[in-house]
Amino acid sequence: MSAKVKKNQGMTKKQFIATYGSVIGLVLLIAIITIIKPRFVSGTNLRNIFRIASINGLLAIGMTFVVLTGGIDLSVGAVMGCAGMYSAYFAQTSMGYPAIAAILVGVLVGLMFGIFNGVCVAYLKVPAFVGTLGSMSIAEGLTFLLSNAKPIPNLTDSFKKIGGGSIGALPIPCIIMICVLAVCFILLYKTRYGRYVYAVGGNQNAAHVSGINTKKIICSVYIMAGVLSALAGVITTARVTSGVTSTGSGYETDAIAAVVIGGTSLAGGKGRLWGTIVGILIMQFLSNGLDMLGVNAYYQLLVKGFVVIGAVMLDSLAAD
Amino acid sequence: MKKKTVKRLFAAMMVSAMAFGLVACGGSSSSSSSSETTAAPATESAEKADDGAEEEATEAAASSGAEGLTIGATYYTLQTEFCMRMDNAAQTWAKENGVNYTSYDGDNDAATQLGQVETMIADGVDAIILNPQDADACSACVDAAVEAGIPIIGVNTMVNNENLTAYVGSEDVSAGEEIMQYMIDYMGTDTFNIVVLEGPMGQSAQLQRYEGITNVLANYPNIEILAIDTANWSRSEAMTLMETWLTTYGDEINAVIGENDEMALGAREAIEAAGMDLPCIGIDGITDAVTAVSNGKMIASDFQNAEGQITGALETAVKCVNGESYEKENWIPFEMITPDNYEEYVGRY
Repeated sequence: MSAKVKKNQGMTKKQFIATYGSVIGLVLLIAIITIIKPRFVSGTNLRNIFRIASINGLLAIGMTFVVLTGGIDLSVGAVMGCAGMYSAYFAQTSMGYPAIAAILVGVLVGLMFGIFNGVCVAYLKVPAFVGTLGSMSIAEGLTFLLSNAKPIPNLTDSFKKIGGGSIGALPIPCIIMICVLAVCFILLYKTRYGRYVYAVGGNQNAAHVSGINTKKIICSVYIMAGVLSALAGVITTARVTSGVTSTGSGYETDAIAAVVIGGTSLAGGKGRLWGTIVGILIMQFLSNGLDMLGVNAYYQLLVKGFVVIGAVMLDSLAAD
Repeated sequence: MKKKTVKRLFAAMMVSAMAFGLVACGGSSSSSSSSETTAAPATESAEKADDGAEEEATEAAASSGAEGLTIGATYYTLQTEFCMRMDNAAQTWAKENGVNYTSYDGDNDAATQLGQVETMIADGVDAIILNPQDADACSACVDAAVEAGIPIIGVNTMVNNENLTAYVGSEDVSAGEEIMQYMIDYMGTDTFNIVVLEGPMGQSAQLQRYEGITNVLANYPNIEILAIDTANWSRSEAMTLMETWLTTYGDEINAVIGENDEMALGAREAIEAAGMDLPCIGIDGITDAVTAVSNGKMIASDFQNAEGQITGALETAVKCVNGESYEKENWIPFEMITPDNYEEYVGRY
């Protein structure tokens, strides 16, 4: 009897570490940096952190859906850059379009890439790694074709507000992020669609046999990732106030890192959306904090590497 | 079961200890790293590099109250030798002048640099040094600093923003002009064919160095550019490109213009592998290029003075903070490394 109780307690402890390890890590991280550098938690700095976290967060949310189905999307960074560049093109003051038109163009670019990726992976049986690697290159090519590698400056003020503006104390990117997050939470946890996403990632054949249109589900997550990356690209472009070719390059690795730090399994079927948000916050607080502490850039790379490995190690040790 | 729990707890402890250790040692190393890791090579190079100029500058700055100021710098990357030279020189200068100096790695991303400028503002620095990834995209960095009332000094690469407090750099256009003219003088004729290796398309150094090259070529209608393409500042890419060109044009190529040394050296490798000997010229004055000039593999290299640029920027920053008069634009000239003077540049990069 008592042995059984003990065992149960062990289980919960294990689950506790697996589930909340990243949150504890985040709290510890904030506490330690704040003790050394109290300015770390000043309003201005927190606003800065959350604004950047919102942009990376959009990529990571899309990536979470893709990874939950057992796939991966390497093109998110490049699509982000491509969408940003196309929206910048239409947001130039000389073009005279309203900001919303530029945003829609950007999102449309993301949608196209999402559909392209989704069809490749779900219907044409191209492995996700390869298919999205290909579209990454295509997106980069389209970015250069439009811009001729030159930046697109002189964007309209209303467009620039999307990245730099605030409503009250909340930066606009954060507001967009909160809206997206709310929708995604409902989608994933309150609808049949969300359960299907988990089911497809858990066991695609079983999901198929039980009557789920697995191809449609897989296709949809890539579309979501594409649109969210595009949104991130539009916001970043507005924030730096010009379309630049370097936008988004390498961001896919940060998105994947945030997803795995948050406890989502790359094998699919297991994971949590809020974990990804914690993952993004850890990455952002860490990089801002290390910057503030004046840690040498090379050490920062080491720290980030250890944190990713450590987080996943905790997760898998807790799972066995 | 128990064993596993212990293992898990141990792992958790290890991770937090690791994280804490790294963060903690990082915190203290911001000051110690500047004195230990970088001080040795930096002092060395500073001693060699700046003989007169440095001493003058140090005295001037010391007397004008740099002591105790906090200056932050964001570099577009800290993963190339040139930016590291600037960072090292800045660390040395900061130590000598009692300035708290923090450097940030922009990771080749304008958005990252903007975040870092915002971090510096939140951190309450007195002045910001900006080595922008992109002239247009980093314009937002300037706006952020100006809005916060903090002077922001551009270094090495221009920013297209009239609110930039001041700028210290070298004119890439003149470097392009100098190497092209040097090559023409070297060839002793105004009728020959060249190939041009370009930097990453759209980067301001590429645009301006190319502009300089074409400025000179405008006066020499008989010099033909047989082929021109980017090798992204990379030695290996330049080598591949040159191999292709040698196959395509063979003997028609008379000279190679590289917008930086790495690419000129890569092209030279390909030329030697093909059993040929063509004059190559580059820009930057990196260690390998100085060696190449000394043994005749390159005819010359145009040296860009990283130490001069960054110390100039820091001094201007101090002047701004103290409300003294300063030059809005400061040009540090390129210096041509030739077989006659290469000894001065050995060990300087």
